[in-house]
Amino acid sequence: MHPFVLMFMIFGLPAVIALAWVFTRGGDALRRYIVTRVALTLPMVVILVSVVFVVLRVMPGDVVSSTLGPKATDIARETIMEELGLDRPLIVQYGTFLRDVFTLDLGNSFVGARRPIIDELGERLPATLELIIPAALFALITGIYLGTRAAVRRKRPSDYGLRMYSVIVYSMPIFWLGLLLRLVFSVWLDWTPIAGRIDVVTNTTLERTTNLLVVDSILTANWSALGSALHHMVLPALTLGLVLSGVFLRLTRINVIETLQEDYVVAARARGIRKRAVTYSYALKNAMIPVVTVIGLQVAILLAGAVLTETVFNWPGMGRYLVQRISSRDFQAVQSTVAVFALFVALISLAVDVVYSVLDPRVKY
Amino acid sequence: MNRAHKLVALLFAFALIAAACGDDDATTTTAAPATTTTAAPTSSTEGTTTTEASGPTTIIIGTTDVISSLDSADAYATADWELIKAFNEPLLRFQPGSNSVLEPGIASLPVASEDGLSWTVTLRAGLTFGDGTPLTVEMAVDQLNRLLNTELQASAPNQVGNTLAAPYVESIEAVGDNMIRFNLLGPAGFFPQILAGAPYTIAHPDIFAAEEMNLLPEAPIYGLGPWTITSLVTGEQTVLEPNPFYDGMYPAQVDRIIVQRFSSPSAMADAVREGEIDVAWRILGAEAADDLRSVEGLHVETIPQAPIRYLIVNHSQGRVTALPAVRQALAAAIDRDELSDVVFGGAVTPLLSPVPPGFLGANAAFEDAYQSPNIQLARELLMSAGYSEVAPLQIRLGYPPEHYGVTTADGVLLVAQQWEATGMIEVETIGQEWSTYVSACTNGTVYDVCVLGWFFDFPDAENYLQPFIEGDGLGTMVLCPNPACEGVTAPNIDPRLGELLLEQRAETNLDARAALIEELQDVYAQEVVTIPLWLEPEFIIYWDWISGDPNLPNQRTLNIGPDFEFIYSVLTVNR
Repeated sequence: MHPFVLMFMIFGLPAVIALAWVFTRGGDALRRYIVTRVALTLPMVVILVSVVFVVLRVMPGDVVSSTLGPKATDIARETIMEELGLDRPLIVQYGTFLRDVFTLDLGNSFVGARRPIIDELGERLPATLELIIPAALFALITGIYLGTRAAVRRKRPSDYGLRMYSVIVYSMPIFWLGLLLRLVFSVWLDWTPIAGRIDVVTNTTLERTTNLLVVDSILTANWSALGSALHHMVLPALTLGLVLSGVFLRLTRINVIETLQEDYVVAARARGIRKRAVTYSYALKNAMIPVVTVIGLQVAILLAGAVLTETVFNWPGMGRYLVQRISSRDFQAVQSTVAVFALFVALISLAVDVVYSVLDPRVKY
Repeated sequence: MNRAHKLVALLFAFALIAAACGDDDATTTTAAPATTTTAAPTSSTEGTTTTEASGPTTIIIGTTDVISSLDSADAYATADWELIKAFNEPLLRFQPGSNSVLEPGIASLPVASEDGLSWTVTLRAGLTFGDGTPLTVEMAVDQLNRLLNTELQASAPNQVGNTLAAPYVESIEAVGDNMIRFNLLGPAGFFPQILAGAPYTIAHPDIFAAEEMNLLPEAPIYGLGPWTITSLVTGEQTVLEPNPFYDGMYPAQVDRIIVQRFSSPSAMADAVREGEIDVAWRILGAEAADDLRSVEGLHVETIPQAPIRYLIVNHSQGRVTALPAVRQALAAAIDRDELSDVVFGGAVTPLLSPVPPGFLGANAAFEDAYQSPNIQLARELLMSAGYSEVAPLQIRLGYPPEHYGVTTADGVLLVAQQWEATGMIEVETIGQEWSTYVSACTNGTVYDVCVLGWFFDFPDAENYLQPFIEGDGLGTMVLCPNPACEGVTAPNIDPRLGELLLEQRAETNLDARAALIEELQDVYAQEVVTIPLWLEPEFIIYWDWISGDPNLPNQRTLNIGPDFEFIYSVLTVNR
């Protein structure tokens, strides 16, 4: 079974079920909103990849020069360009491209072994998911918890310290942070591996089905592979998550402070409800609404950060793949990868909007 | 401790326990590793090494190279050839550690016909692929003819057939039960060196069909070589295990080789430093290699030969470099020792001729001609061409800032400074991204001078001379005999340049050929076809429990010689 199908079963199916539940339980307005957003997703992706199509072809350079270098003879250039259809008029290429988009045909890569891009992405998308999911979870848990603590201890030393932490981590370049963490924890302290998703030798024992190493380890009961995969995941996820935790910390802090000053919160305190309960059960829940909105926006930041993190930690994900293919002028791979990224961001944004409406019944679309 | 804190602590503890359960000992292995594809692994053999008898031995080799093709009728990159020659022994081979001692591979050393227009090899008896399929001479000829199959080559991304077969070979035929005859288009004394290349390996017909390319087949990949690829995770890892049917000169010495890919040299350097890999090979820069020299137990060795860096000099009419005096002045002003010391800390070898040392006929033609740095000579030549301090020569010098790394970029900028130190040259340096730079440099319309790197297709002087002389000369435009170049080349090029190239190509007597190559280099230097700069160093880094074969040349570099071939079969583990 293709990794994409398996990943859909793991992530997509529950999401679809949840969406269907919301659809059936929600009001007409929400249903209309969901239908409209789903319907707009495809044209949005088409417009985006069309822009990428134009930019790639306008950009100087070609796939033959970038891959064969000075050994690219004229015969080789003509032969390869003809084989790849790059000698045809642009309008013909665009027509072929649109046809592929509507038939969901990602095509074959232009370079290397010219493998089907869906296979290449099937190997790399799970790697990126295994990086950004724990990074996002870490960022959310850390940012929200610390942001709440900072709000409750407003204007005390811990508040100032946490605010300083948020500014520092958010302004730090991800690649620099990654290199620094690798130097300290992998080289000096030898606590974490240098690079990769899993130990080199353990990798040979793991039977991959989804290419999500954690999931594959559990499915095959390969506990040493599970441990190795988790061990390798710590530092890259921490690198990516630390930067985002600063964003969530500040946002949570501001919103919790505002919420704590609301009348209903004051009333709850006046009724003798314990402070911890007021903070976490009353204030935080309402303060989370704008934070949820930002989560959707931060997904795109996560993907961008994944590119740098994957390079530093030798993580074979889609970000690194995209950078390599841009350098090689592999138009097909770049277009297809951008389309997948766009679809991913669009779906996450839709989910966030739906969750938003569930969290806050006052929201009407 | 409140509930939230307890929950966080529990999650953290769980993560720690799970991580602690991970076994990251790089030397432990399990039996019969699973592949990433559906085919069953080959039968594992007990290690034949001198290490402990219990447990399989594994060597992990790190690299930043990307595998793009394992089809011998297509592959053109060094990394691809290295793997192909691991699972598929070529017809001939160079002795590991040497680039001058040709040995039989799966065939005998070739015999040339009297007119030099055909070469015949005899296949070794009993050749069997890794899955037990016996090789027949008809099978061998069919597979070799994939290089000449124009339809097949049209679909090849790397076009190696059009470079290393079609220009030389007219046809390939079977003779008797075990001989293969190569009928050439013209005499070529260096043809045996070409037969030692990966394109002239005989691929398994079930995996690499005669009429179809299969650039990255699924594992297991069987061949006639000492190894079988039992697992191939593209972009990550290749696992090789011994081929039980191999009976050649270099059988496997360990139970498994894992080639692990790294996205960056720094990650690979850290991995070898921490012992996560046993060997680091391609491509580490001089600075990273120097950092590793201080690690106890780690060997950092420089390969005796290397890819070269050189300047393409544009001979097209209308260019300032069309004037011989200008070209010679540029050659005279270069200080190669300064380049080596300032940019590389003395780690590179200045290149004094287009043919590197160690190859047949190599000499120091540029040093003999110019004794550079020779500012006085450069100034005299420029003045004879009408330039002065008041009316300086304006030169456009191109380079790719990222493709060859910062050291090449720094070297080019230093070259510009050396030229400007004559007081009569002004240099405009232009950095250009690689995919656009290549055509700009080689089409002869953008730059007066531009830098390129070169690694041979086959280890012979021919391959360091012909590409820069014939055709468009990769941008030199020095001869351009084909109609497309009419009116573009500079006048008064010494006709001996083309004549000597053809003469040495047809000469089969080594001494006579060496003399012709030397004379050709002297003419080459006078015409300044290109300006050789330095030999780019390549490093092999390995732990002291890894060793090569002491009975072969260059054991210190794990028997990697000037031809850059890394033969995994020579490696042993002692710990």
